[in-house]
Amino acid sequence: MKKVLLPVLTGLVLLAIWWTAHAAGAFPPGTVPSPPEVANAFGEEIRSGRLIEDVIASLYRVAWGFTAGVLAAVPLGLVIGRSLQTRAALLPWINFFRSLSPIAWIPFAIIWFGVGDPPAIFILFIAVFFQIALATSAAVATVPKIYYRVAEDMDLSPADVLFRVTLQAIMPQLVTALRVAIGVAWMVVVAAEMIAVRSGLGFLIIDARNGLRMDLVVAGMITIGVIGIGLDLVFSRLTKIPSVRWGFER
Amino acid sequence: MSDVILELSDVGFDYPGVKVIDQLDLRVRKGELVVCVGPSGCGKSTLLSLLAGHLQPTRGTVERNGASRTIYQDGGLYPWLTVRQNIEQGLPKHAALQSRAKKVNDWLEITRLAEFAGSYPHQLSGGMRQRVELARALAAETDILLLDEPFSALDYQTRTRMRRELVATLAERPRTVVFVTHDIEEAVMIGDRVVVLGDRPTSVRRVLDLPPGRSRTPASPGVAEAEQAIMEELGLS
Repeated sequence: MKKVLLPVLTGLVLLAIWWTAHAAGAFPPGTVPSPPEVANAFGEEIRSGRLIEDVIASLYRVAWGFTAGVLAAVPLGLVIGRSLQTRAALLPWINFFRSLSPIAWIPFAIIWFGVGDPPAIFILFIAVFFQIALATSAAVATVPKIYYRVAEDMDLSPADVLFRVTLQAIMPQLVTALRVAIGVAWMVVVAAEMIAVRSGLGFLIIDARNGLRMDLVVAGMITIGVIGIGLDLVFSRLTKIPSVRWGFER
Repeated sequence: MSDVILELSDVGFDYPGVKVIDQLDLRVRKGELVVCVGPSGCGKSTLLSLLAGHLQPTRGTVERNGASRTIYQDGGLYPWLTVRQNIEQGLPKHAALQSRAKKVNDWLEITRLAEFAGSYPHQLSGGMRQRVELARALAAETDILLLDEPFSALDYQTRTRMRRELVATLAERPRTVVFVTHDIEEAVMIGDRVVVLGDRPTSVRRVLDLPPGRSRTPASPGVAEAEQAIMEELGLS
């Protein structure tokens, strides 16, 4: 109960501060909308169906970019984590590309993929891929040797060792990495949509700014924040899976 | 000899720059419980890894006439599997599905873990985890059981109880056992033979045959003498 009540109370306090400051004329005209103006903007966007469309567009891109990034990164991370030579050869480069903001890839994304979903998905892929590859390789490198000795005793096949030992052993760290990565992906999609596409929550915000509709900007920001919390909640449920839970209880 | 199941001849093992084992000879007969004692860091676990086939000797030969399973000090269980699943993973691959369930249930009963079948290792006490390790290793039905200081992380009472359980289980389901420990008392309580290992690079310094019976107490015949002899050999008295 406290878990829900406390943040709701904090939110109400923040709302009250915002509302009072606005009523007291603390913000220059046209810079910060009032809560009722934002509520009206929400109503307008929901009635027109645009908000739902933008949410779906953003989630669609995140789903593709995130899934593709994870599917490509986990096998690479497994290889890097298990092989010293591959690690020595690739890890510095993964770190190099991980340090580049995914937004820096936007010019290439547009040149390579044009406009629409593909460049945004590509940028999301970049945002997720290097993070997950690095996290997976680090997790694999720390799997206790004893697990492999037990597997050797049991005469497990290489495929069994991979799927029944290594992947299981890294699952708690992988779940944490996925949780961080989905948050980053959600941040990046908004930024990518501000440049590369004409739909989605990022586009909603940039379009509203161009029209000096700060009420819509705030409505878009609130939607992004709420969905971000929702995504984190969904991914945090992964830590409750019994075969993963051990990593969070020791 | 035909009943020799493990034989190390003139075995040496080096880690880069470190000679761990040198000129070590050891023969273990079928059904024996051989305990290896030695000072901390002398290479007892390396010896066990050689016996298990996890390491290959740098010099000499290791002959193993049968499959083996190792029980580790701690952390050998897969934490993502329940007690039941851990034990089941130990079963021979060829075991049929129905007999697998029955065998797991048998081992859960034998090790008194039936009510914890659905628990995960981190939810168990140290003693219970070691019982699961024991059940998993014995469920494999291998000829050889290798124990790497399996009870050293446990408190005195649990350790004593676990020793008795091991001996009772082996009486029911005999195996050839090599048991590594730094606990001299433990060695003389359960071993058929005690192999005293020297400092690194380790080799066999002495082999003591103990009186028959594995459920000894400190007052059992020959125990105090054996303990004294081991202490002398290790320079502890």
